[in-house]
Amino acid sequence: MSGEEKTLRVPFLLDTEYRYAVGQYGARFFTELRDHARLMGVRCPECGRVYVPPRPVCGICYRELHEWVEVGPEGTIVGWTVVRIPFIDPMTGEQRPVPYGFAIIRLDGASTSLYHFLDETDERRIRVGRRVRAVFREKREGSLRDILHFRLLEGEDE
Amino acid sequence: MSDWIVRQRIRIPFQYTAGRVLTRFLLGLAERRIWATRCEGCGRVYVPPRGFCGRCWREITQWEEVPAEGEVVSYAVRPAEPPVIFGLIRLDGADTLLVHYLSDVAPADLERVRRVRAVWSADRTGSIMDIAYFAPVW
Amino acid sequence: MPRRVAIIATGQTKHAARRLDVTIAELITEAVTRALEDADLTLRDIDAVLLGNMEPFEGFLFPELWAVEAWGGYLKPSVKFNTGGTVGTTTAIAAYYYVASGIYDTVMAIGFQKQSEGHTQTAITTVGDPIWERSVMAGAIGNFAVMATTYMHESGVTEEQAAKAAVKARRNACLNEYAHLQMPDITVEDVLKSEMLAYPVKRLDMCPQSDGAVAVIFAEESKAVRLAPRPAWIAAVATAHEQQYMGDSPKRLAEMRSLIAASRRAYQYAGITNPRRELDVAEIYEVASFAELAMYENLGFCAKGEGGKLIDAGVTELTGELPVNPSGGVMSTNPIGATALIRVAEAALQIMGKAGRRQVEGARTALATGYGGNAWTDVIILTREKP
Repeated sequence: MSGEEKTLRVPFLLDTEYRYAVGQYGARFFTELRDHARLMGVRCPECGRVYVPPRPVCGICYRELHEWVEVGPEGTIVGWTVVRIPFIDPMTGEQRPVPYGFAIIRLDGASTSLYHFLDETDERRIRVGRRVRAVFREKREGSLRDILHFRLLEGEDE
Repeated sequence: MSDWIVRQRIRIPFQYTAGRVLTRFLLGLAERRIWATRCEGCGRVYVPPRGFCGRCWREITQWEEVPAEGEVVSYAVRPAEPPVIFGLIRLDGADTLLVHYLSDVAPADLERVRRVRAVWSADRTGSIMDIAYFAPVW
Repeated sequence: MPRRVAIIATGQTKHAARRLDVTIAELITEAVTRALEDADLTLRDIDAVLLGNMEPFEGFLFPELWAVEAWGGYLKPSVKFNTGGTVGTTTAIAAYYYVASGIYDTVMAIGFQKQSEGHTQTAITTVGDPIWERSVMAGAIGNFAVMATTYMHESGVTEEQAAKAAVKARRNACLNEYAHLQMPDITVEDVLKSEMLAYPVKRLDMCPQSDGAVAVIFAEESKAVRLAPRPAWIAAVATAHEQQYMGDSPKRLAEMRSLIAASRRAYQYAGITNPRRELDVAEIYEVASFAELAMYENLGFCAKGEGGKLIDAGVTELTGELPVNPSGGVMSTNPIGATALIRVAEAALQIMGKAGRRQVEGARTALATGYGGNAWTDVIILTREKP
């Protein structure tokens, strides 16, 4: 096994910047979000699925997607959690602050779901089926961060 | 066509394991000694040392020291101010090549360099950089 | 028709939280040496070497280059695979193809990982799309947590039922000399009381992070029959991929589309119509307790929604009708680049009758699965009888 002999560890910080292309579909989505606080998906002409994130092709039908439709800003929680275990965020190399709540959210009108933050960290107050609403930032830059988080709505679950 | 780019880092701290064999090598560097291992099958002398010869598929148990001096087999210059020079060095008695910095030499003079000697760092911690660089022996 | 291929030997390291005595290369050599000894072969007898690993966990890029002598690849034909959690089974499936093709007679598949060199949850978080997911995602723990809440809602499975899978795993592991986590006295209570990582996943619901390596040797029919008293024949292999974003199949545990597709294809190929009855043992890639129960359903061991009932009934215990993960599974040992290949090795050991104290008596048909972040699945079926 490890043995009693003390051996050395050699530290190395991997630290690289990447330049990810957002692509046409991402650009359209983020432009709408930034300029109009509107969320958009694309619909498949064959199966009718509305995709968020938007993408060029429906993977199931293998048809090109061109029909943009508005989705949200409300939606339903499909799955959720509250992250309590600290971990190092690969985007910063530092610990990401915990706890934070996040969910898989199906926006109204969308067939697929998005990962995003919830405004809640009390597990007792979150459930599958709860309705949520996107909270948009005042100043938006064209990224998913333009949504601060999703707010749990009171009232009937779906 | 959109040329929208998102800049984002990937930043992850790693801790490589030196293991028993390389730990002995690294601690040796702190003492200004270079440890190597010799395979009893093929006779290859490995620097940095290995505990296992992949060609013979046998364990290596024989350790020996090699001098901190040897031949420059090849080099490359990264243009910068000052220029950064890498060398492939065969220490006397070794069969493998060590990659390290070459310094105390101008790029224009590299052609004439045959032998080099390790220049040790003042602060040694058990790291390959306990050798600061290799300098020509004229 | 492809020619017949069997697994004839395996080698594993004793998996552990930290192997500080060896470098990655040295760890690999241990597993390879053991597999060669198990087969009574030398490297000269191996025609090709296939290597599986996930570099982001060690930050050591291209291990197939810098560790080539350590894994016996010097001047041999070889390829490195890098397919996330499935890499071990992908490498095994590739080894099968190499031999089945008729081009190579004896091929070694290797899987390894030194999780201790890096940060597992951090590296897994880079699997998330940088633009759409990464800032929210919290590694495998976060992913399994969000999937588990959906699954619990759909199926009615409870944390207690999931905990039973966690208990089974760590107790079975006590019979496996290679397993990392061995907890003979663990109880459901212990699991339920353990630290909450991300609801509903608690520390003892989740797999460990391990340093380990495994090597498996595949051979064509005549060699297999000569070299192994009871080879494990590959009866079927299947791979399936999913849509790419985390939210694309939001019922990701309740309905594991790639696992359903791959397993049905493999069952069909192997002529299995009732997996619960016809499989004697299964080594499945269950990252967390909830996932194991969901996999029972998605593999067709029980009806949808009945995963909890199956474990309540003891069907998947070592003494049950269909033992699942007698080795202790992923919940006991998880050096990710090796893990799926360990499933294959353990399934093979069962067929070969070499599983020691965790042997399922009379195992004739075994299942091994690999899991890659829900995005893709590998399935392999091994049999005692020639296909």
